[in-house]
Amino acid sequence: MSRAGEQISAYLDGELARAEIEQLQAHLATCGKCAGELQEMQVVRSAVRSLPLLELPPGLIPEADAEVVPLRRNKGFLVGAAAAVVALVIAIAAIVTPSTPSVALEELNSRYGARASLDPAFGPAKMVVPDLGDILE
Amino acid sequence: MRRAIALAVVLVVIPASAVFAADLDELLDESREASYTAEQAITCSTPDGARNAVIELSQTSGELHVGAPVAPDVEVASGFGGWTLVREGAVISSANVEAAAEEPEPRYSVDEGTATEYLGRAATMYRMTGDGVVRAELVFDVEAGVLLRVVTFNADGSVFCERRFVTFDPGTPPDVDAEPAPSVEPAEGGVESNLPEALGNFERLDVYQDEEGFVFAYYSDGFFSFAVFQTPATVAAGSGSPVTIGERAYIRSFGAGNVTYAWETRSGGMALVGDLPPDMHEDVLSGLPAPQDPGLLRRLWRNLFGQGGSARPF
Repeated sequence: MSRAGEQISAYLDGELARAEIEQLQAHLATCGKCAGELQEMQVVRSAVRSLPLLELPPGLIPEADAEVVPLRRNKGFLVGAAAAVVALVIAIAAIVTPSTPSVALEELNSRYGARASLDPAFGPAKMVVPDLGDILE
Repeated sequence: MRRAIALAVVLVVIPASAVFAADLDELLDESREASYTAEQAITCSTPDGARNAVIELSQTSGELHVGAPVAPDVEVASGFGGWTLVREGAVISSANVEAAAEEPEPRYSVDEGTATEYLGRAATMYRMTGDGVVRAELVFDVEAGVLLRVVTFNADGSVFCERRFVTFDPGTPPDVDAEPAPSVEPAEGGVESNLPEALGNFERLDVYQDEEGFVFAYYSDGFFSFAVFQTPATVAAGSGSPVTIGERAYIRSFGAGNVTYAWETRSGGMALVGDLPPDMHEDVLSGLPAPQDPGLLRRLWRNLFGQGGSARPF
């Protein structure tokens, strides 16, 4: 870009001092080429500004994420994450910890055996034989 | 002449089997009152494979002691509503229940019996029939009245279980060197329950609830029987395996002569323990609450805060 081009770009960006602006405007009044360049730059800039804004994919520029995420939203995320971690811990504890107190089969056999001993058929035909395999383990 | 004709008419009208048929309860009562020692071999053919055991029996006036040669230090004493399992002098498990309130309606009848011989002794074999299906063959010793052999059948006529004495010594057995039985409070009978009053051909005879939160009901059809348990805890099914009965999933475990089903409902654990043949299982289970996954939240609640709730889920 020529020096005049740089001046025009700085002019459009509002970066020139007042004296520089007066000097550039005087030049543009007499230079058709620079006046045309100014006009082109204005067209391009207005076209760019009319494009929709897009969000960057998270994590693409970590530094940028850290800067642009509002503080309030960041707090909500932390609270949600903490709740998720707590829920996960409870769920894992529920699954991993031994299940609810369970009743051994032998407990049931003893009750059934006791009641069956009152049965008219009790005797060699109805004697509850304990599962010795389980007992001997 | 008229009397003779009337008698002839009566004899023709009444079936011969009814005239000569034995009373099943009387036969069983005589057997349980006898005293003897014996070794009994139990062989069962179950859907999960064979289940066999050899046990030592010693009975005195209705109280039966059971020991097993494979584990001489294990013994069960049972009778009159009690059950105690002892190993090396220590009580592993025991229970005591009150006498039954009701007797089941007779569903089975036995024929007049056939003379036979068993273990070199005179015996009588009876066929037990219900709904036209032979469900058991019973061989009683003529002299002692003891049931020496019983074979139970599935509905298709196949053998479910055979329990037979391989040795038999009638008479008063020697004193059993048993440890004193622990004092166990009997379960309170007559508890109200929403468990069905009938399941298949089985009648609910009584319901018990004990201090540990068990509620259980005892069902009988006059020969076979089972108990249904409801507990706020889950039931450890031991060596059981998953099985689907009537599109319902259970954990099933067969022993030598008995079967256990365990499952979970939203209210806790349930189990069925009994000696009924496999062809009766579906009919009975279909009348009980279906297995239901209690869900993560209930499971979590139980694990974190204990059982809570009632022992009577209905």
